[in-house]
Amino acid sequence: MSLKIIESSDRFMRFSVSEINPSIANALRRTIMDDIPKLAIDKVIFHHGQIRDNEGNVYDSSLPLFDEIVAHRLALVPLITDPKMNFREECSCKGEGCPLCTMSYSINRIGPGLVTSADLQPLGNPELVPSDLEIPIVKLGPKQAILVTAEARMGRGSEHAKWCVTSGVAYKYHREYVVKKSEIENWQNFKDKCPGSVISENDKEIRFTDDYGCTLLYQLLDNPNVERFEDPTTYIFQFETDGSYKAIDVLEYALKRLPQRLNTLLDSLVVQD
Amino acid sequence: MMIPVRCFSCGRVIASDYQKFNQKIKEIRSDGREPTPQEISAIMDDLGLKRYCCRRMVLSHTDLIDEILPFS
Repeated sequence: MSLKIIESSDRFMRFSVSEINPSIANALRRTIMDDIPKLAIDKVIFHHGQIRDNEGNVYDSSLPLFDEIVAHRLALVPLITDPKMNFREECSCKGEGCPLCTMSYSINRIGPGLVTSADLQPLGNPELVPSDLEIPIVKLGPKQAILVTAEARMGRGSEHAKWCVTSGVAYKYHREYVVKKSEIENWQNFKDKCPGSVISENDKEIRFTDDYGCTLLYQLLDNPNVERFEDPTTYIFQFETDGSYKAIDVLEYALKRLPQRLNTLLDSLVVQD
Repeated sequence: MMIPVRCFSCGRVIASDYQKFNQKIKEIRSDGREPTPQEISAIMDDLGLKRYCCRRMVLSHTDLIDEILPFS
């Protein structure tokens, strides 16, 4: 088994894994999808009643949206995560909530105006801010204000979508297209548009691969004159993250996590004698 | 109401893209014309809205928060 990173940026990654079978490929995909721990807001406390600013103006804390909707929107905001934080149920505080497993945030804004994720102030580690600062949470009218404290805890995507780090996790076989130059007249067009996707070329034929994400090559899929080869042992994966981790960190964690879970399964299958 | 924070189908954060999308559409409209489908498509590509699930979230949304704001 060998892994090659084809394309990598902060929030997107494409890589190939060879010499595996579909069950391993799918296990890796599902680990990346919903088994990465991350921070998300889990408890929101709304201050109800009158709110006064420094000049003595009185604001009302009732919002145009229901509190439940605001809490749900806050939960879905992606937060930059410290992977060393504990799960609450595994923490030394035994689930009561301490700085090792809980991160607190507050919002204090007076209207009119749009409350965004940038107003979410971390109380504690100042690095754990939302990874996207332009998410609108709620709009405040004149004489309206919001005063909220929120608690974030670690969780996994299998529990709730707010703990999903990645989106668009997909894999496909490594695929090659053999284009005979005599039969496909515009082969030069494909070569010019996708120069990185050419594997080999001689006088009679040219061989492309769609591993590198050149979507123009999909036109060759339905062409009966193009011979296609698929390699069911080599997989091209791609995924993007919501910014709570870098893409490379997600992959590294998933590759560590998968054997751990398989070992747990293996241990439970051992017959005691 | 307000734009959903994440795409319903894939979970990508799309709420911040909606603001940028609207801003660019507004810029085109300030020239006194409607944006062409090709321009709309190019704007969404630039924002990284690759899948059609995320594109429909942004494209089909109507922001009605200003309508309900006076009644809260």
